[in-house]
Amino acid sequence: MLKSIWLVPALPLAGFAVNLFVGRKLGRWAGILASLLMVASFAVALGVLNDLLELPAENRLFLRHLYDWIGVGRFHVAADLRVDPLSMTMVMIVTGVGSLIHIYSIGYMHGDPRYGRFFAYLNLFCFFMLTLVLAQNFLFLYLGWEGVGLCSYLLIGFWHDRPSAANAAKKAFIVTRIGDTFMLIGVVLIFLRLHSLDFQQVLFPHCGPGMHCPPVAFHTQPSGVYTIIALLLFAGAIGKSAQVPLHVWLPDAMEGPTPVSALIHAATMVTAGVYLVARTHVFFEISGVALVVVLVVGLVTALYAATAAVGQDDIKRVLAYSTISQLGFMFFALGLKAYAAAIFLLVTHAFYKALMFLSAGSVMHGLQGETDLKKMGALARAMPVTTAMFAIGALAVSGVPPFAGFFSKDQILAAANQTGHEIVWLVALVAAFFSALYIARLIFLVFFGDDRTELHAHESPPVMTIPLGFLAVGAAVGGLLGLSAVTGKLQTFLAPVLGEIPEPSAGLSEAMLTAISVVVALAGILVGWFVYGSGKIDWMALRVRLSSVQRFLAGGWYVDDVYAATIVAPGKAGSAFLAYVVDEGVVDGIVNAVGIFVQWLARVTRRVQTGFVRTYALAFLLGAVALLVYVGFRL
Amino acid sequence: MRTPIAYFLVVSAALFAIGTVGVLVRRNALVIFMSIELQLNAVNLTLVAFSRMNGDLIGQVLTFFSMVVAAAEVVVGLAIIVNVNRRRRTANVDDLNLLKW
Repeated sequence: MLKSIWLVPALPLAGFAVNLFVGRKLGRWAGILASLLMVASFAVALGVLNDLLELPAENRLFLRHLYDWIGVGRFHVAADLRVDPLSMTMVMIVTGVGSLIHIYSIGYMHGDPRYGRFFAYLNLFCFFMLTLVLAQNFLFLYLGWEGVGLCSYLLIGFWHDRPSAANAAKKAFIVTRIGDTFMLIGVVLIFLRLHSLDFQQVLFPHCGPGMHCPPVAFHTQPSGVYTIIALLLFAGAIGKSAQVPLHVWLPDAMEGPTPVSALIHAATMVTAGVYLVARTHVFFEISGVALVVVLVVGLVTALYAATAAVGQDDIKRVLAYSTISQLGFMFFALGLKAYAAAIFLLVTHAFYKALMFLSAGSVMHGLQGETDLKKMGALARAMPVTTAMFAIGALAVSGVPPFAGFFSKDQILAAANQTGHEIVWLVALVAAFFSALYIARLIFLVFFGDDRTELHAHESPPVMTIPLGFLAVGAAVGGLLGLSAVTGKLQTFLAPVLGEIPEPSAGLSEAMLTAISVVVALAGILVGWFVYGSGKIDWMALRVRLSSVQRFLAGGWYVDDVYAATIVAPGKAGSAFLAYVVDEGVVDGIVNAVGIFVQWLARVTRRVQTGFVRTYALAFLLGAVALLVYVGFRL
Repeated sequence: MRTPIAYFLVVSAALFAIGTVGVLVRRNALVIFMSIELQLNAVNLTLVAFSRMNGDLIGQVLTFFSMVVAAAEVVVGLAIIVNVNRRRRTANVDDLNLLKW
């Protein structure tokens, strides 16, 4: 079964090809075909996972050589697939959550004129994402990395007749490209300094090819080289995973259809950065400095996005900022060397954030596309199933036991506490508090309180609610995968790749930490309920009174405005200068001057053509005489 | 006694000069044509003279070629002149000045 791993990315690729060319003729079968192929891909992945689990823990590595991709001189890149616990964890999320979102999309995109094309893009995305996580070298990974960026662009701008969607797509593509460019430089640097792009040779030079290795940091170059490589790779991760300062594209990316937000901008693509850092964590460990950078960026992002989420009025933008914040927590965990905890949060987050996005999509479906929180409220009566699903996701995000988010976040907070730097732990706690607050605000404004809707809401069809059910199960009991930071199932499964987790040595006791994080989560929910759900406070009046704070948070701390003023405006001015002064003035001027000169020359010299035959005859004669004289003098 | 080559060349040069002046100063296309023929024949005379001086026939053979080409050229030229005359009722080359700047 291990050998058929190539089927996992190949099946969505086949779906893409079919839907691209004959999607329109297939009609509603396009969605069913795409979903079936994803489910088949998931089934194959399950088989592969099963085979992998049957191997002894230290032998869980399988490389599938597909073909030699590039061979020029000393530069050899093969299209190889790597099956190990980390890549299989990602594959299970992409195919599993991906299948559910495909099925949901059958209902959500029903009636769209470009229904087949949507599924073609969705399948193509899954293919590239699977390439990314299964790649065995940096260039193959980069292929997937750019491919998912392309699909993200296509799907954010899927309704490209809306200018906001087209602009959001461009913004997402350009902003992530900044990070991608750094990452490509990093990949080139890896080849120049480490003479290979193969994960095995680059990351574990002390091991033979194809052998499983303990993930121990081992360096053949000065550590400064690794610092630069790690920071360049991390810049790619910052762009793709929407971390400060390149996070600005993700809230705007919500212009895409909601299943896209759930699949690409919550569960899979944005976690590619986390995967990349986890995969190359030995670089970061050798460097040390890079690890601190990851930690700081993650922590700042987690806190920043959690506060910004409190001020958003668009249901999907709240979730977008929530995703940024959760990704920040993942990077924070990576920076703490709690790699398994980061991947654990990645897994649980994929469940509960996909669940919340799809529930939000169900709400929008019921309200004819309305996304403004101020125009919702009291939807619990009209949409009981969606409400229940959303609530499960919300409890998971805020970290209330026994839901999945609790275990993963708790382990990260515990790891933060063990660093001995109280301030890091406290900031993370504040971010966790805000996480609970924004999610409580969201749920009380949408599903409870006064009915502010102008429409008659209705529950979504089963094709949409059943995938929600599956995801809700994941969000509710996903924590079972990793109950303990040291002995959890997922953590021990990942240990051969990410390293053994040390027993907690410093800091507060585990029970104490758990109690504190539960209290923080409950406090956040309580504050949210008191302001938005209890009816004791007129939150609309509060908005007006604190309108400057509200605007500050809604604008995401005005980061977009700062970029507009410092980068976009000078960029536009520079482009205008180049276009209207340099191009129109200098470049066009030179071209026009040449033309004008030739015209002038022609106007003057064409007088020679008088039309009088005898003038020409005289010119002949003079010319002939001149030639004769010349020849005569030469002789 | 053989006539010196210079005599031929002087006659030839005189013929060529007369032809050239004729081409330059006359306006009637037919006369210009005749002057051109004069120039050609001046050249033919030179060829024959040099051929005689060198004692071979190359120059004389070349003269025949020249005469054939001149005959063909005259046919084409006269046809043009006749046609122009039919259309424009003139054979004055100074009136035929449409092809200019």
